[in-house]
Formats: sequence, structure tokens, C-alpha cells
Amino acid sequence: MSQSGTANVRVRVSSRLQESLSGYLFSLPAVLCLVIFMIIPIIGALALLFTEYPALEPPKWIGLANLTHLFSDNRLWTCYSNSVLITVGAVAGNNVIGLLLAMGVKRSIGKVLQYIFRTVYFFPVMTTTASLAMVWHFILTRDRGIMNWLLAQLGIAPISFLSDPQWAIRSVIMYDVWKSCGYLMVLYLAGLQSIPDTLYEAAKIDGASRWQLVRHITLPLITPTAFFCLIISSIGAFQIFDNAYVLTSGGPGDASRTIAMYIYEVGFKAFEFGYAATISLSLLIILVTLTLIQFWAGRKWVYYD
Amino acid sequence: MASAAQTDRAPVKTRHSALRGLSLLGLVGQSIIWILMVLIAVWEILPILWMFSTSLRLPSQSFELPPSFLPTSWDWQNYLAVLRSPQINFPLFFINSLKIGLLATVGQLLTCSMAAFAFARLRFRGRDVLFFLFLASMLVPGQVTVIPLFIIIRQLGLIDSHWSLILPALTSGFGVFLLRQYFLTLPGELIDAAKIDGAGFFRIYWGILLPLVGPGLSALGIFTFMGQWNNFFGPLLFLRSWDKLTLPIALVTLAGYMGSGSRAEILAAVMLSILPVLVAFLFGQRYVLKGIALTGLKV
Repeated sequence: MSQSGTANVRVRVSSRLQESLSGYLFSLPAVLCLVIFMIIPIIGALALLFTEYPALEPPKWIGLANLTHLFSDNRLWTCYSNSVLITVGAVAGNNVIGLLLAMGVKRSIGKVLQYIFRTVYFFPVMTTTASLAMVWHFILTRDRGIMNWLLAQLGIAPISFLSDPQWAIRSVIMYDVWKSCGYLMVLYLAGLQSIPDTLYEAAKIDGASRWQLVRHITLPLITPTAFFCLIISSIGAFQIFDNAYVLTSGGPGDASRTIAMYIYEVGFKAFEFGYAATISLSLLIILVTLTLIQFWAGRKWVYYD
Repeated sequence: MASAAQTDRAPVKTRHSALRGLSLLGLVGQSIIWILMVLIAVWEILPILWMFSTSLRLPSQSFELPPSFLPTSWDWQNYLAVLRSPQINFPLFFINSLKIGLLATVGQLLTCSMAAFAFARLRFRGRDVLFFLFLASMLVPGQVTVIPLFIIIRQLGLIDSHWSLILPALTSGFGVFLLRQYFLTLPGELIDAAKIDGAGFFRIYWGILLPLVGPGLSALGIFTFMGQWNNFFGPLLFLRSWDKLTLPIALVTLAGYMGSGSRAEILAAVMLSILPVLVAFLFGQRYVLKGIALTGLKV
């Protein structure tokens, strides 16, 4: 009796051990890659913070000089404010249009129409950001660009989309919304489809109007999706690089230079590795703070049942 | 749907609300939504139509205004020029992109599915901490790690090698997270039954569970391939020689060199370069959309 008991325990222990061992072995390749290409680089960036590292020479310890430079670097703040503007514009545009499209697509009559709309909206998401930015560059050029030709048909004077400081940023935002609102649409569509039909039917039987259905069922129940969408779209927009690099090259001057472009420039044009890593850490801190704020604010407006 | 036996008055009321849906205000609202949807659809598709129709025109006519959004002629000479020209070494860049995309995809499918299986189905000490690290890595922007990553790649002697792009793409927090969601949906009895039959964990993973998460693998495969195919920042940093370049970086560089005179050829090249991803999407649309929805909603 007791003997078979211990045997049982032994079997269980050895199978437990086997399971643990398998767990480590199965996750090992992924963990190894994560450590080498993600965790070590983050620690590395922390170390670079204290160094002057001109790429080709060995790093030199300079204490907190990079940090003081950070707070007095005017170009950095220009780039940050550009990135904030782009983020606000792109997040608003992508989410509003994404949600509208999702509501429209969900309501479309017939599977075929639904498929066509969904595919058309999602199409730009699949294309290459840099290559399509090139196409948009052709479209937006001041002379002989088709955008200005279209505006001329409406009687609007030509706009320097890419070389006017204010329009350069708007063009970057416009291109981003063109490129990614379809992605947000898919997320919102999934959120809408998870709202049970019975809720709408019950409300209809009670005589609710279309607007009341949207106001009291769709909008509250879509808030968890919207919350997630806001977080990922703001993180994405804050990191815009390809987009502005190809469309405006950050210009005119620094008018549309994003923070990601500035890190690239400091790191790989000026070869100041230490300072570039310092900027990238400030970006990490800002993004984490932004996400935490969104989580905190989310408790006030996200509806959980 | 309310059953007929449940209530006799329900159909009347439904008809009533359906009629109300057709009120004037409702009609106006409906048409505004439809007009908006069509306008946005036009706005989304017009640049691509313009690119396509311009790529089919003679280069000398590519500046022509008014623009045509539908092909005016079917001149494939730009495509032939792109494919044959030694200056636009399109086939080479295509193969480079394909090689990097495929290797990264295979690597990611393997490492992510193994880790996802472990995190979803095996119990071991530190599991949740490890999984949290993968989750957190999704929030770290690429720019934060780019300087140290560059130094590591340089130390490994991989600058100007395709491995500089493949190795860092061999795993991803997103992939582990996505596939874990799929593994979690499988019934636990499957594993118990396999264990009773004496199957080891590798057989359970490879022979039993992996075939069942096929849709998840398809979604991750398409995402990974797409990400690599469209990657611009990585090649900009790590690749130096002309014959190592991938499509996006090569096309942007070429457009810079060649000036606006050969715009039609550049557009033909862009058309060709987005083709594989579009084909992949048309075949895998279901998986891609489901993958996006699954990761989007369960965070």
C-alpha cells in the first residue's frame, strides 16, 4: 500500500520534473533571441546613457552630460512636438475613421458588399509604407501633382503639401491615416461583432431608435476595443519613421522631423551613439508614461461588464 | 430571433420599427453613412489605381494632367524595363527580400510556437515571468534598442549581411502572444489523452497540437513575412552594398537617383513589389483578420 504510494509520488515527481524541463527547453530558443536582441540592448542603452561613443572610437564615461544635453537640445524638443502633433492627428483620424468604417462595413447589406468594402479599406495596410510614401510624394508634389490638380478643379489654390512647414506635418498625418485606418477598422469590426445581436433586438422591441442603439449599446460596449486601439495607435504614431523619411525627409528644416528620425540622425549621421541612446531612453519613458496614463484614464471611460 | 410561439405581438412591433427605420431622418442618416463609406473607399483606392494606370503609360506621359485613374493604355513596357534593366536590378532585390522574409518567417513560426506551447500548456517555475517579458517587449519601440542592437550586430560582424535582419526577427513578443492565444483555445483533454497514450511533450507539440493551431500559424506567418517584406528601417541601418539591398530601400534609393523622369518605371516597380504580399493576403485574408481580432480583443 505505502510502497505503491511512494511509487506513485515518484512517478508524479518525475513527470513534474519532465514537464518543467520541457517547459524550459521549449521556450529556450525564443527566450535566447529575446535576451540577445531585446533585453541586452535595453541594458546596453542604459549603459550608453553615461558615455560618449562616437561609433568608431571606444566609449568614454562622461557621467550625466548626455542628460544635460537632452534638456538643452532645442532640435529635440522640436522633434518631440512634431511627434506629439502627428500622434494626436493620426490617432484621432485613424480611430474615428476606423470606427466609422467598421460600423458601416458591419451594416453593409450582403456578404459580397461587405467583403469588397473590407478589402478596399484594408488594402493600403498590406502595402509597403516606404514605397507607397514615394507614390504619395508624386501625388502631393506642388507642380504637376494630382492632388493639386484635383484641388484646382474645385477652385482651390495649389498647396505646397511637402514644402510648407504646416502642410508637411499634415501630409505625414494624412498619409498615415490613409495607410492605417483600415487596420483600426479590422480591430473595431471584431469588437462590433462581439456585441451580441440579442441586445440590439431587445432594444428594438422596446422601441429604441437607431441613434439610441448606437448611443446606448454600440458605444459603451465598444469602449474596451477603443481603449486597446488608442494605445496601439498612439504607440505606433509616436514611432513614425518611414513615412516622414520618404515623404518629406523631415523637412522643410525640421518641420516634420519625428523623434524616430532624430534618433536615426544623431545615431547614424552624426554617429553620437551615447546621445542617441539617451534620446531613445527618453522616448521609452515617455511612451511608458503615456500608456500608464491611458490605463489610468481608461478606468474612467472604459465599460467592463 | 424570437420564436413564434413565444409571443404573437413581437412581429408587429418589429415591422413597426423597421418602418420607422425608413423615416426621413433615418434615410438621410443612412445616405450620409453610405456616401462617407464610398468616399473613403475612393480615397483609399485612388492612389493605387493612379499608380497602376500610370505604370502602364509611356514614361514620357507619366506627368500628364488630367490624371487618369483607369489605365488608358496597356503598355507593359515599364514592367519589362523594370524586370530587365541592369540598373534597376529588380530580380536580385526581389530574391533578397524573399530570402530574408522566408527565413525570418520560418524561424519565427518555430520559436514562437514552441514558446507559446510551453507558456500555454506546461507548468514550470518562472513561466509567467518569462511570458510577461515577451508581453512587455511588445511595448518597447524599435528605436529604443536600435543603437545597442547596431553595436551587437557590428560585434557579430554582420553589418551588410542579411543575417543582420534575420537574426533579430527570429522571435517576437507578438508571435508568442498570438500563438499562445490559439494554444489556450484547445481542450486540455487532448493533452491528457495523449499523455495516457504515452506521448512525450515533443510529440504532443509537434504531432497533435501544432496541426490544430494552423490558422494561428498562417496569421503569424503572413504578419511576419509582411513585416519583413515591408521593413525599411532595418535595411537602411544594416545593409551597405547595392547587391544586398531589399526592395523598399532599393526602390526609394533608385527613385532618388533617377529623378522624376522615370516615374512610370518606379511605379511599375512598386506595383511589382507589393504583389506578393497582396497575393498572400488574398489567400490568407481570413486568418489575418482573425489573427488581428484575436490579439486585439483579448489583451
